[in-house]
Amino acid sequence: MSLIAEDIRVSYGKHEALRGVSLTALPGEVTAIVGPNGSGKSTLLGAITASLPYRGTVSLNGQDICGMKPWQLAAQRAVLPQASRLAFPFTVIEVVRLGLQSGTAGDRPEVPMQALARVGLAHYADRTFQELSGGEAQRVMLARVLAQVWAPVENGQPRWLLLDEPVSSLDIAHQLQVMDIARGFARAGGGVIAVMHDLNLTALYADRVALLATGKRMAFGRPQEVLTDEILSDAYGCALRVSAPPPAGIPFVLPHAASA
Amino acid sequence: MTVVSDIAVAPRDQLNHARALHWVLAVALGLACLVNLQVGATDVTLSSVLAKLAQGETLSQIERVVLFDIRLPRLAMGILVGAALAVSGAAMQGLFRNPLADPGIVGVGAGAGLGAILAIVLGALLPVWMIDRAGNHLVPFAAFLGGWGSTILLYRVSTRHGRTSVATMLLAGIALGALAGALSGILVYIADDRQLRDLTFWGLGSLAGASWAKVLSAAPLILLSLGTAMMLGRGLNGLALGEATAAHIGINVQRMKSVAILAVAGATGAAVAVSGGIGFIGIVVPHLLRLASGPDHRTLLLNSALLGATLLILADVIARVVIAPAELPIGIVTAVLGAPVFLWILLKRRGLVEL
Repeated sequence: MSLIAEDIRVSYGKHEALRGVSLTALPGEVTAIVGPNGSGKSTLLGAITASLPYRGTVSLNGQDICGMKPWQLAAQRAVLPQASRLAFPFTVIEVVRLGLQSGTAGDRPEVPMQALARVGLAHYADRTFQELSGGEAQRVMLARVLAQVWAPVENGQPRWLLLDEPVSSLDIAHQLQVMDIARGFARAGGGVIAVMHDLNLTALYADRVALLATGKRMAFGRPQEVLTDEILSDAYGCALRVSAPPPAGIPFVLPHAASA
Repeated sequence: MTVVSDIAVAPRDQLNHARALHWVLAVALGLACLVNLQVGATDVTLSSVLAKLAQGETLSQIERVVLFDIRLPRLAMGILVGAALAVSGAAMQGLFRNPLADPGIVGVGAGAGLGAILAIVLGALLPVWMIDRAGNHLVPFAAFLGGWGSTILLYRVSTRHGRTSVATMLLAGIALGALAGALSGILVYIADDRQLRDLTFWGLGSLAGASWAKVLSAAPLILLSLGTAMMLGRGLNGLALGEATAAHIGINVQRMKSVAILAVAGATGAAVAVSGGIGFIGIVVPHLLRLASGPDHRTLLLNSALLGATLLILADVIARVVIAPAELPIGIVTAVLGAPVFLWILLKRRGLVEL
C-alpha cells in the first residue's frame, strides 16, 4: 500500500526533463520533492498524477495507474495544482463541492464546510472565487482537494494527497497551516507527496525527501540525510550551509545582528 | 485565523435557487406560448378560438389553418430552435471555458449553414435510395456534419495544452465563418432556379415557413442533442477548473469533450437547417442565467433550454407585430437585443482576461 514510481522518463520534444527517476512514498509520511528550478519536480508529479505522457511505471496502492479509470484514480488520490484559474464565477463553496462530488464522501454534504473551516476560510463560502487573493485561492483549492479524499484511510487503504508547491503564494502563517494540514493527513494514515521550494519548511515537515537536479534523482532519504551542505551545494550550484539549532535549553547567539 | 463559529454559517444555496428557477422558467415558457399563439397577422386569436370552442361552435376553415397549420408548427419550431441555440451556446462556453463562445459567433453556425447548402444544392447527386431514405432529414444531418467539422477544427486551432485562447478562438471563428460563407456563395452560383428558391427561403434566418414537416425533420436531432447536453453538467463544471484538474477529479475529459462537441454540432446544425442563422440567443441566455443563479452547469443547461425557447418565441412575436402584416426576419430582432449584451460581456472581461 504505497505509491511507487519506477524509472520515470519524460521528454518535452528533444529535451529530456526526467531521466529515469524512481520514488517510493509510504502512507503515514510526508514525502517532499525538492530541487532547483527546472530540475523536473513538477514534471515528476505530473507523471505520478497521470497528467502527462511518461515512460516507466507508477503504481498506486499496488495498482498500475495506467489501467485505472479517471474516477477510480479520483477516489484514491487528490491533486492540488500549482495555480488555478476558474472559467466561470463559481462561489467558494461550489468549488469545494466539486471536490466532494468526485471523491467517495459524496453523501456527506457537511464535508465542504468542514474542509473550508480546516483551511480557515469558512466565512468565505459565499464569495466568488475570482474575488480571492492568490493565497486565498490556493487555500480554497486545498479545501477542494481535502473534500475529495476526506478520510485519509478508507476500506483499509490509504488515500493520497499530491500537492504541487502547496505553499508557493502563502504568507508564513498560512505556510505553516497548510503544512500542518498535510502532516495531519499523513499522521492519520494517508499519504502525502508535495513538491516543495522552501528547504526550511521541507526540513520541518518532510519525513522523506527526494532531491532532483537536471532530471535525475540526486538523493532520497530522511531530511537530515539529504539536506546536507555537500548535497545541496552540489544540486543547487551554489554554496549552502545547513545548520541545526542546539537542543532545547541551551542558549545560542546568532551574530547576524553585528554585521547589519 | 480560523474562528470556531465559522462552521455554523450555512452557505447560500445557489443550486436550490437554480432548481427553483426551472419552475419559474417553465411557467414563463407556457405564458410565452400563449402569447405566441394569440398574436399574428390575421384576426384569429387563441382567445377567440377558445371562446368558440367553449360554446360548442365549430371552427372556420381559416381559423383551423391559421392555428393548427401555421402558428402551432411555428411555435413548436421556435421552442426547439430556441432551446437548441441556447443550450449549444451554454455547452460550447463550458467546453471552451469562455463566456463568449457561441456557435453563431465563432463560425460553427456558418459551417452548419455550408453543410445545409451543400445538401440542398448537391443533394440531388446522391444515389436515389439514399435520398429516399434520408428524406427531410438530409438537410439537418448535413448541417450537423458541417457544424461538427467546424467545431472540431475551431477547437484544434484555438486550444493548446488544454487552454483556449479567447483571441485565437474569436479570430479563428471569423476566418472559419468567412471560408464557409465563401464556399456557400460558390454553391449559390451553381444552384438551379428551384434550389435558389429553397436557399432564399432557408437563408432568411426566420421561423417563417415553419411546417410540421420541417419540425419533424429537425426534432429528432435537436431532442437527441439536448438530451445528451443535459448529461454534461458535472463534466463541464469540472472542466471549468482546467483540463488537468478535471481529469484529477475523475472526469474522462477526452470523452466528455467529444460528446460535448457532438451535442453542440447536433443542436446547432439542426437549428440552422430549419431556421437559418439566428444569432445571439446562445450568448445572451446563458449569460443572464449565470447572473441570476450562478454558473453550475447541472442547472444552467436545462434553464438555458427553457429561457432560450421563451426568448425566441417572444422575439418571434416581436418580429411578427412590429411591421405587420409584413414581418421582420427574427435574426434582426435577436441581434438588436443580443449584440449589446455581447459587447457588454466583452467590456467587462477586457481587464480580466488576456484578449
